Amino acid sequence: MRSLAFAMGAAVFLVIACMFPFMSMKAGGFENAMTLPQTALELYYNGRTALALLVAGFILLVPAAVLGSILVLLVPLIRGRNAPWLVPAGRLIFSLSPWSMVEVFVIGVIVSLVKLAAMATIVLGISFWSYVAFSLSLTAALSSLDRSYVWGAVEQVSSR
Amino acid sequence: MSDFPHDSAAARGLATCHTCYKLSPAAVQHCPRCGAHLHLRVSQSLHRTMALVITAAILYVPANVLPIMTTEQLGSATDSTIMGGVVLLWHHGSYPIAAVIFIASVMVPLSKLLGLSVLCWSVARRHATAPRERTVMYRVTELVGRWSMIDVFVVAILVALIQLGGLLSIYPGSAALAFCGVVIVTIIAAESFDPRLIWDRLGDGNE
Repeated sequence: MRSLAFAMGAAVFLVIACMFPFMSMKAGGFENAMTLPQTALELYYNGRTALALLVAGFILLVPAAVLGSILVLLVPLIRGRNAPWLVPAGRLIFSLSPWSMVEVFVIGVIVSLVKLAAMATIVLGISFWSYVAFSLSLTAALSSLDRSYVWGAVEQVSSR
Repeated sequence: MSDFPHDSAAARGLATCHTCYKLSPAAVQHCPRCGAHLHLRVSQSLHRTMALVITAAILYVPANVLPIMTTEQLGSATDSTIMGGVVLLWHHGSYPIAAVIFIASVMVPLSKLLGLSVLCWSVARRHATAPRERTVMYRVTELVGRWSMIDVFVVAILVALIQLGGLLSIYPGSAALAFCGVVIVTIIAAESFDPRLIWDRLGDGNE
């Protein structure tokens, strides 16, 4: 199934996006680079714990949970095997996906680029492009996942 | 079951599962396929939606009055609110970005609150006009909600990136959390509104 291919691609892009610098800025001889998890971590260091958790959830944890659920749901389904976690994983995908805000964050990055363009030179890192690719593949994986078909397959596999 | 149009599934005691779309008798309470809770219509849908809309409207005040971020440049700190940021971008000539932020952080939340109130009011008053248009309105409301988070994400990025000590630093403000609250509460409000209620009133005219 196409959805599984997109989901596997998305998983690779997400790992890359978390490992390398996301973007960096240069201004007046100073240089500062940040990584993706730092967006949430810096909020936490500023004492905004709730805000940090929400941001981390919307841009990293929830998308990762949706992605993980797609993988553990589709791998057994494609091989025609039953697994005890199929039903909870399926429910998790459809209840969490409205809370994944990956593409909103990408637009947020572009907006901050424009805001900062006057003050400093901004360089986009590997992680940024990887996160864009992650956003596209996760959207593709979710939109090629047909709800009725998936649940029909779950029913078929578990009744065997 | 005179609450429902006489040829609808609900009138025959059948309910669709919200999670997997399987149609089952509502009397079984839990979907036999995926185990999700089954109900003919979201219970107390109008009350819940209106309560959440009011909560979001209250949170919207601190979200706009308090500073969303503080810029500290060479020892002097300046607070900026959401609208302040839009005005500043407009003066700098970044019209498209100012428009994006204005639409995402001002127009979208306000139109969502207004839209959900209108929907609840029309269903409570048993209006039967323009059901299709109202359903489209609901779908748009549901779709645009997440995009309001742009401004909060921009603050998160600026805070992480602009840390040059005393020279130039950006700190998050209290409005960011309040605004996050507005977005979350309006998303839950849109989810608790049951669009099928719009169509339940159609049967009234035919009988």
